[in-house]
Amino acid sequence: MREILKAENLSKDYLINKKKFNVLRNINISINVGDFVSVMGPSGSGKSTLLYNVSGMDKMSSGEVVFQGEKLSELSEKKLSGLRLKKMGFVFQQINLLNNLGILDNIIFPAQMEGSQDRKKVKQRAVALMKKIGIIELAENEITQASGGQLQRAAICRALINEPEILFADEPTGALNSKSAKEVMDVFHTINKEGTTVMIVTHDIRVASHSSRVIFMKDGNIIGEKVLGELKDLDIELKDREGKLSKWLLDLGF
Amino acid sequence: MILKILKHDLLKKKIITFAVFIFIMLSAFLMAGGSNMLITLNDSVDYLFEKALLPHFVQYHSGSIDQVMIQNWSQRNENVKRQQNSEMINIPGSKIFINSQQAEVDTVMDLSFVRQNESFDFLLNLNNQIISIDQGEIAVPIYYRQRRNLVPGDNVVIKNEQFEMNFIIKEFVRDAQMNPSVISSKRFVVNNTDFEKMKNQIGKTEYLISFQLNDPARISEFTNQYSQSGLPQKGPAVDYKIFKLFNSLTDGLIAAVVILISLLLNIIALLCLRFIILLTIEEDYKEIGVMKGIGIAASDIRKIYLSKYIFIALTGTIGGFLIYLPARKLFLKNIILFTGEAPKSILQLILPLLTALTIAAVVIVFSIIILRRFNKISPVEAIRLGINAKSYFNKNSFSLSKNNFLNANVFLGLRDVLMRFKLFIILFVVFILTTFIIIVPLNFLNTIKSSEFVRYMGIAESDIIMDLRYTEGIQDRFEQIKTYLANDPDVLEQGAFVTSRYRIINQEGLVENIYIQTGDFSKFNVDYLAGQSPAQANEIALSYLSSSELNKNIGDKVQIIIEEERREMIVTGIYQDITNGGRSAKANLPADYQNASWYNIYINLNSDIAEKINEYEALFDNTKIIDQEGYLAQTLGDTIEQLNILTIAAIIIAGVVIFLITSLFLKTLIARDKAQIAIMKSIGTSIEAIKIQYITKALFVLIFAIFIGTITANILGEQLLTIILSFLGASRIEIIINPIRSYLLSPLIMILIVVSTTLLSINSIKKISLADIKVE
Ligand SMILES: Nc1ncnc2c1ncn2[C@@H]1O[C@H](COP(=O)(O)OP(=O)(O)OP(=O)(O)O)[C@@H](O)[C@H]1O
Ligand SMILES: [Mg+2]
Repeated sequence: MREILKAENLSKDYLINKKKFNVLRNINISINVGDFVSVMGPSGSGKSTLLYNVSGMDKMSSGEVVFQGEKLSELSEKKLSGLRLKKMGFVFQQINLLNNLGILDNIIFPAQMEGSQDRKKVKQRAVALMKKIGIIELAENEITQASGGQLQRAAICRALINEPEILFADEPTGALNSKSAKEVMDVFHTINKEGTTVMIVTHDIRVASHSSRVIFMKDGNIIGEKVLGELKDLDIELKDREGKLSKWLLDLGF
Repeated sequence: MILKILKHDLLKKKIITFAVFIFIMLSAFLMAGGSNMLITLNDSVDYLFEKALLPHFVQYHSGSIDQVMIQNWSQRNENVKRQQNSEMINIPGSKIFINSQQAEVDTVMDLSFVRQNESFDFLLNLNNQIISIDQGEIAVPIYYRQRRNLVPGDNVVIKNEQFEMNFIIKEFVRDAQMNPSVISSKRFVVNNTDFEKMKNQIGKTEYLISFQLNDPARISEFTNQYSQSGLPQKGPAVDYKIFKLFNSLTDGLIAAVVILISLLLNIIALLCLRFIILLTIEEDYKEIGVMKGIGIAASDIRKIYLSKYIFIALTGTIGGFLIYLPARKLFLKNIILFTGEAPKSILQLILPLLTALTIAAVVIVFSIIILRRFNKISPVEAIRLGINAKSYFNKNSFSLSKNNFLNANVFLGLRDVLMRFKLFIILFVVFILTTFIIIVPLNFLNTIKSSEFVRYMGIAESDIIMDLRYTEGIQDRFEQIKTYLANDPDVLEQGAFVTSRYRIINQEGLVENIYIQTGDFSKFNVDYLAGQSPAQANEIALSYLSSSELNKNIGDKVQIIIEEERREMIVTGIYQDITNGGRSAKANLPADYQNASWYNIYINLNSDIAEKINEYEALFDNTKIIDQEGYLAQTLGDTIEQLNILTIAAIIIAGVVIFLITSLFLKTLIARDKAQIAIMKSIGTSIEAIKIQYITKALFVLIFAIFIGTITANILGEQLLTIILSFLGASRIEIIINPIRSYLLSPLIMILIVVSTTLLSINSIKKISLADIKVE
């Protein structure tokens, strides 16, 4: 198995009123190509912070993150943003679309920034993604003309437009009803099958049961990991995996 | 909540709010200064004229006069209040040495030595007292004090081969008639005894036949009476209107420019204010909506903001006025020097305060109008959307997905400007104004400096101009020079012209004087506004001022009295002339030596001009020999120099304004766009890419503005220059543009300033991080 991402003694602290808050404490984690990792844990345990730090979006306080053999702490700002643009996709908890662009423009924005792609093909890909995720009718809309769930799905399309090697998603289904949530998880499942590594933060056991590994965080530490193995058949295995997972989580006090 | 919003508003926009304050302050400062200049100028000129007992009509005359005849005529004329004949000794500049330096070698100035007048037309000192001079002392025109940095105690020597006389400067002459540098005569005051000693030893004698009238309004009637009186008139005649115009021209223009700059600054302040208010509305849209939702009236919310802007307007204006008070003298320095200080009038104290307060009033009214938009915010919409989604353009018609060619960052920059043009208006208008501020003086300067400009002055283009004024035996000398030149192999061509005084029948059928230049106009011609030069003996061309005063156009007939007979002549052309008061004519008549006032010979050379001038100067006595460039330098030198300084100042001011506004605007814009920038960065957009977006915005606005600014500057600038010069007798000035400076260098400088300012101001993009997203 080839490793794509590794965190070694990753720590992050914030200074608030001259008091240090350790939000991440010596995190060690290794993710292989093709993994589907879920991060769970109570609110405030540092899940989002972990995603921000392993994706190089935020500066870690100490430790190291290695992405495809490159130490993030040694990369320039320019290299880092290049990595995020081309090799990583990110779905934010707070959606974070650009509010002066329309929905379609938001989705193709990263591709145009990347610059080397044929613009017609990018548009075709964007349309295909929107179809798959069920928001094609919103293509021409402003972001003020869509619901929270629709915007969440547009943000997922944006994260996928550059065909990233790893997709980070922070509560991608938080704002969705169960039907839309299922559609989104189906998409994640498919791209994972096609070889994209996925790392998602979720509170939802049904969502987590799609993944191959589940990590549990508390107070900035990883306090447990459950390996579920590859999900082969969505319809048959899901119920069973959910059961195993909830038992494990109960033991951890979730 | 209201307090919270206000605090937020002030903190977030503290720099630009401070800038508004400064702009209002400067605007009020300059407005007070400029209006004070105007009122003081008016008062001082009037006061100076009163103290000096300025004549209403002055006839210059070279040659002898019959005092008794003039006195008798004056006593019989009911218009005349007082009459006086003053003798002047006209000495060439090359024979006058100030602090052992020659005064001016080939000067266009007529330098005259006089004694103090007895009954009016007094020559005053810098305290507006009538100068009285002891033997060996001299009073020198202010013009030279300025040019040579003279102080009392410096010495003046006049000498020629047989005669020499030394003077110590006692004080400086404030000459109500001849102060301005545009007037080409200057008077030195000496003691009566010294004057008598000089007479017949050096220079030539000239007379000023001056009149004060009972009713100055009847000046044109009197001018007519004098011209028909048969009294001496070998020389130009001038009247008090010209004195007043010329005395006020330079400082009046400067005051106008100061007021103009004040207005420009005020416009910039208003634009900044509008920008702040728009941003406030955009940012606090939600809060304002919520306040409305919980039942606070829009007018109450508005009052809170308004009170803030009223406070800024009033403190700014009062601040500006307070700085103006001690700086007052600075504005008035030149006026006080040249025209002296009149007793303070109430208006001088009140007017500056009033004009400064109008600045505050304008700002307040403007804020009230803009704040009306608060009414339009609907609570439901505001709470639901949070952002003000209105835009002039349909966003979809300018969508990133339809952009097939442009670089995405450039496209996003352009798109943002078009979408949020309201925000960018401040930048746009400021760039237009600054383009204007740079281009107009640049074009003026280039026009006045260009060799073609002499044609507007009524002078034909040539290498050397000889100017002979009336003296004994002048006619013979004129002929001698012509013959000499005809035999000089270095002379390519020469054209000789005699200007004589004729009488012409004016619109009301009255007889008037007119100077007609006679000669062969096929060579050394001036530019014609319309028509062409006279060729036949019954043809005449009129200067622009003559033609408009006589109300004659091309093809019209005028009647001239030649050898006591009326002769009808056809107007064939109209030309511009700003020499000798601008009223002249040209005709192909035989020279009338009897009434000749001056003679000109124009020469084109095929050898070194300076050498030739030296040669001719040694050969021909009593002849002004000037090269055309020197002529320009002396008559327009001061103006060009002032304009040069003005142009440099304009470029610096414009540069500073561009720098200030661009950086203020971008800093504020970046602060406003923080969350969006943070999102872009987090999904992998590089800092460089975002910088390109912002540079595109600034440059797009700039280039668009330069385009519009340059066009308006070319159109309005030409009209502006025409208005100014039409006072002097040129009705149509074609702006001569130096394309490299106006169309290449100045836009390039602006682009350079904008790009570097933009780069400097948007450096904070680097520091924007993930945490900034959460602010939204
Ligand atoms: N910029 C910041 N400055 C200071 N403290 C921060 C900052 N961002 C996060 N924190 C703190 O770090 C801790 C972890 O936050 P984080 O957002 O990672 O939690 P989370 O596990 O994602 O929670 P949730 O499930 O609610 O999204 C919290 O206590 C939070 O208050
Ligand atoms: Mg979170």
